[in-house]
Amino acid sequence: MKFTDRVYLILLMLVAAWCGGLLLAPVLSGTMPEVSSALYSCYEPICHQIDARSFHLHGGKVAVCARCSSIYFGFFLALMVYPLFRRFGAQSLPARSWIVLAVGPMALDVLLNASGVHASTLFTRAVTGGLFGFVVPFYIVPVLTEGVTQLRDQFISRGGLSYARKAQ
Amino acid sequence: MPEKPSKVRAALISGAVIGALSSVPGISLINCCCCAGVWLGGVLSLYLYKQELTEGMPPLESSDALMLGLMAGVVGAFTATIVNVLILVTFGPVEAELVKSIVGKFLDRMAEQGSMTSDMVDTIKEQVEASIRDSGRLSNIFGGLFITLIVYPIFAILGALLGFAMFRPKAPPQTTVAS
Repeated sequence: MKFTDRVYLILLMLVAAWCGGLLLAPVLSGTMPEVSSALYSCYEPICHQIDARSFHLHGGKVAVCARCSSIYFGFFLALMVYPLFRRFGAQSLPARSWIVLAVGPMALDVLLNASGVHASTLFTRAVTGGLFGFVVPFYIVPVLTEGVTQLRDQFISRGGLSYARKAQ
Repeated sequence: MPEKPSKVRAALISGAVIGALSSVPGISLINCCCCAGVWLGGVLSLYLYKQELTEGMPPLESSDALMLGLMAGVVGAFTATIVNVLILVTFGPVEAELVKSIVGKFLDRMAEQGSMTSDMVDTIKEQVEASIRDSGRLSNIFGGLFITLIVYPIFAILGALLGFAMFRPKAPPQTTVAS
């Protein structure tokens, strides 16, 4: 297996664990309330966790709001299908305009809601957040795999650990 | 060929920005949307570092983005904690009170509309009160630092990688070698 494939698989597993934690928090609230509470605390610094703005599972709210959930699950979905469409490495980065198109609807939804022009709903938050989350990995994955490979090469060229040399 | 500049300056400035965005009451609500403040700090670190690169230096690489994001995230986590403690000592739990008033108004509206019972509203208000009381505890401050030391570098790296994708150097035109 290539080194970039391994980097991709580790990233996929980490994101799966992150998304799994979001769903485990409400699922475990009945049977293991301490674990559930700890999971909610872990996600607290990154989201307001307001009940009315969140999806619900097993009667409890998901650990982050609907917009954040959609971003993370969109990210995870795109990560899973990524190898079907793109190669690893910064040469396969998409055009910059796609990221603007992906951020635009979400920014518009937030700004129009804040200014009182339009009231964002769970649906608009989920769709705009999901779109952003789905597009981001196509920019992140090529740069990440290339960056980790470069760091590994730098580490080996400076006389890194013997197992790293063997891996090369 | 001159070497690349040190990443410390860009990481310190962007880390300070992350700390300010994450701890100043009101502004810190930006992080309620997937740590948007930390993402922005990661993008900023890449932008600042790119400005330091002059002609003749090796080009910006993906590994630079990884290291810049990591450094900015760690600096940001410490800065945010320090500023939070300073604000807590000087003004008290200003941010928690702000959140309490916002949540309180929201809950009252929910109760008026009949979406929530008054018992539920009272329970949630008590939980918010309890979290404000606990916010000044040393264990909470260190617990918060521990979580932000994990979360901020992750999101700052994502921001820096996104920044690299946006500010990446243009690929040199392909040349054909005559045989």
